[in-house]
Amino acid sequence: MSTLKRAVLTGGMLLAAFSLAGVVTAGDVKGKVAVQGLKSAGNIVVYVDAIPGKKFDPPSQHVTIDQRQMAFVPKVTAVLQGTTVEFLNSDSVAHNVYWPSIGGNKKLAHNLGTWPKGEKKPFQFNDLGAASLLCNVHPEMSGTVVVVPTPYFGVTDRDGAFEIKNVPPGTYTLKTWSEDGKVTTQSITVVAQPTNVELTVKK
Amino acid sequence: MERRGEHVAFALSITLLASLIYSIASAPRANAIPAFSRKYQTSCTTCHNNFPELNDFGVAFKKNGFKFPKDDESFVKEPPVLLGAKAQKEAFPKALYPGEIPGNLPIAFRYSGFAQYNSKIPLAVGFTPRTDLFAPNTFTIIGAGSFGPSLSFWIDNDISTGGSGAAGGLGDGYIKANDIGHWLHLPKDALNVRFGQFELDLPFTQARTINLSDYDIYDQASVALANPALCEFAVPPPPSCTTNNPFMLGVPQRGIEFGGYPNDGNFTWSVAIVNGNNDGPAARNSKDVYARVSQTFNLERDASVRKEVRAAGPTGPRDHTSLRLGAFGYYGRNALNIGGSLFPNLPTIHEPFYRVGGDFRFKYRNFELWGLGMFGHDTNVVPNAPSDIATGFVSARPVTFAGGFAEAEYWVYPWLIGLIRYDVVNSPTDFAAGLSRYDTRNRFSPGVQILVRANIKIAFEYQRRFQQPIPDSPQFFRANGFVVGTDFLF
Repeated sequence: MSTLKRAVLTGGMLLAAFSLAGVVTAGDVKGKVAVQGLKSAGNIVVYVDAIPGKKFDPPSQHVTIDQRQMAFVPKVTAVLQGTTVEFLNSDSVAHNVYWPSIGGNKKLAHNLGTWPKGEKKPFQFNDLGAASLLCNVHPEMSGTVVVVPTPYFGVTDRDGAFEIKNVPPGTYTLKTWSEDGKVTTQSITVVAQPTNVELTVKK
Repeated sequence: MERRGEHVAFALSITLLASLIYSIASAPRANAIPAFSRKYQTSCTTCHNNFPELNDFGVAFKKNGFKFPKDDESFVKEPPVLLGAKAQKEAFPKALYPGEIPGNLPIAFRYSGFAQYNSKIPLAVGFTPRTDLFAPNTFTIIGAGSFGPSLSFWIDNDISTGGSGAAGGLGDGYIKANDIGHWLHLPKDALNVRFGQFELDLPFTQARTINLSDYDIYDQASVALANPALCEFAVPPPPSCTTNNPFMLGVPQRGIEFGGYPNDGNFTWSVAIVNGNNDGPAARNSKDVYARVSQTFNLERDASVRKEVRAAGPTGPRDHTSLRLGAFGYYGRNALNIGGSLFPNLPTIHEPFYRVGGDFRFKYRNFELWGLGMFGHDTNVVPNAPSDIATGFVSARPVTFAGGFAEAEYWVYPWLIGLIRYDVVNSPTDFAAGLSRYDTRNRFSPGVQILVRANIKIAFEYQRRFQQPIPDSPQFFRANGFVVGTDFLF
């Protein structure tokens, strides 16, 4: 086989392999989540699952979740394991923050209590999983903190679009979390230029 | 005369028994209002801890003219329709003062259906079925809201037969001007005015009670004889005679009320001028007066917590620990024999009457305890001779009664509430009329309420009642009952 033919064949095989694996490039992982049976493609967390042998220090900067006009803002927040979240009350009514479990573990239920307008209360999320935020004065209020194992995560907008910045080159498992949908996983290899990843989340 | 008295007593027994059964079966006018849930996109539990009972936030909401106590506009999810730009205020009086109406029709609906199991009632009293399924069924329309920052309104109407105190009909229907005292440089909420038909500013509401039956003392009327025309001159005069006053404290009245709740709502006062004919048109020229004052002592240790609308508990906001003490009084002049309807040759009878009482309410965490005591007095006159030759009236023994209730409520869970209540009425007149075995009629009513959802309740109440005589028999019976039912709003 000539050298040219061999190069074309190798390139084609590589291209096919990369296509099958959902190859994306180094730096940013961009994409779109489509939904089947769900009301909205928004507020879906897309994150890189745990990397064997890799530990990440939580950020020193705290994340803020507000209670404003009787709603948690933002409604869905993704944080790296070990991050401290500060819960702020911006309303002129008394609010309370509690969650009945983290990742389905009811032993991790916690009630932060009540505080007035303008004040905040911190909590460090050391356990992986989703915590459903509730207010026992206003039962219609709900939010979620999704605690993930790596700092590579994003939350979809209303149209399902997401972006994960500064992902080092390598092969990873991409996972999704949504309030009503099943977990979706997809293997990705981050190499060079940014490109799109298409995911589907089903009910 | 003696046989006539027996017939009258018998008739009164039937009437009282029917009233008792009706009150056992009566659905309370539970007036929580989902229209506010829709306006603010919030759960009923924002204002109610056991609908229609209000928590501290709900009380503040109601006192603020059905608006959030602070920054109301930021919480409204259904913006109102402006009936004039706000800048029109500057153009007034050369322009119509601007107002607003709720953005969506502020209507809610409530349904109550109750089943009852009655103790065995002697046939001599009249047939009463042992069980009655889903009676009464009451369907109520409720509309309430605000017309801007200073006007609010409330209308509720039972549009089906049955229901507490009426075979359908208007309950409350009023418009209220809030905080008009600020025009007079008075403290905030020192002076409000409402006009229409409304439940008096009672220490504990009957129209919006959580109980499945009325408070007995609220339904007590001074009726010496069902038919005063039977009152004949006698020596000595019979113990009760002409007094026939339909007024009941627990029934809505028509009139105008001035009131206020300064000092962050810890002090309340009200003075109402009303027709005094319950929820009916005026039946006499004179008007009645009702007045009430109360003081709430906030027992929270933290001064900053006392200033908040609700206190802060470890699992969320809760009502303040508090003790409220109050007093009330009602004065009127009942009129009988108008135009000689009873005694053709005699003038109109004017019988002044009054009601006075005191009340308390204690709140601590998941527990509440409250009670009321009241005394009623009606002037009583008799013809000074047999009615065909009588020339006037002379005083007879006044018709008096006393009584009250005490009740406790405990939240086992936010959705599971236990209640226990004791009612007592002492009425020598009713006893003389053969309505009870003793002067005192009492009742013991334990109950359980379950909030299946924030707007759906299943309630249970047992009533152990006083002994009543069986006609033509030396024996007595108790009209006990067990009521269970459902109550929901949307």
